[in-house]
Amino acid sequence: MSGPNEDNNTQLSSHIFGDLLDSIIVDVASECHRIAKLGLDRNLEEEEEEMRLSAQARARVADPSNSSETNTKYVVDIFGQTHPSVATEIFECMNCGRSIAAGRFAPHLEKCMGKGRKARLKVTRSSTAAQNRYSRGSPVSTYSPYSNSTSTNRLSNGTPSVAGEEYSNGTYEEPWNKT
Amino acid sequence: MKHSVNRPPTPDGAEDQGNEPILQEIINIKLIESGEKERLMEMLRERLIECGWKDEMKALCRAYVKKKGRNNVTVDDLVHLITPKGRASVPDSVKAELLQRIRSFLTSAAL
Repeated sequence: MSGPNEDNNTQLSSHIFGDLLDSIIVDVASECHRIAKLGLDRNLEEEEEEMRLSAQARARVADPSNSSETNTKYVVDIFGQTHPSVATEIFECMNCGRSIAAGRFAPHLEKCMGKGRKARLKVTRSSTAAQNRYSRGSPVSTYSPYSNSTSTNRLSNGTPSVAGEEYSNGTYEEPWNKT
Repeated sequence: MKHSVNRPPTPDGAEDQGNEPILQEIINIKLIESGEKERLMEMLRERLIECGWKDEMKALCRAYVKKKGRNNVTVDDLVHLITPKGRASVPDSVKAELLQRIRSFLTSAAL
């Protein structure tokens, strides 16, 4: 026999059940929303598209015919930039004051600072104060290349004082000998 | 004349229904405090997963997301999408079990 309490109870129960169900529905919706936004779902169409694009990119990178076709200098990196194989930034050599390209700087320094024979000519021709300071102040400077070069060009330069010093230090280094 | 003047009066609820909101609140509090609400939720969740209801709802969501595009979907959209179908598709056995549990709680809570 169903009295008013019974009906109340039934109604209440249904109401409570409805509440529970609503909470669970919101949870499920929230979870699905999260999965959708984070791309965690293997959503067929999207994933296929992405897979195809990445496969294409990989093929392009791995393809040997690519590098033989295009100039290897112009290989594209992941940002789509190309770099010339020789660095082209230009700056001033602190030794001789010339404008040098970055990619050519090392060989330039070799010549400029005294590895080679001709370097000594450059140095003696130069008139930078630092150089003169160094050549006077430090007897064992690595680029006091005023050693027995057989080139007669040295004599034609206009800094006799430098040449004079060379004879005063008997212990200057001869870096070119050490190579 | 302002539109609002002609508005029907806000229903306060009939006399015999006057007690219900308060009663419901009391019951709710009792449910939560005793931990029964949590247990009921877990039970319902479990049953709904077992019977595949959750998967159905997730499939609905996925289809909707696919249609609209991932970035155009809000939680609200999904809630509104799932609610009517979700409420209707709970298996009878699950519903009966839960209702039974709730009713026994109500009677044991001395109402």
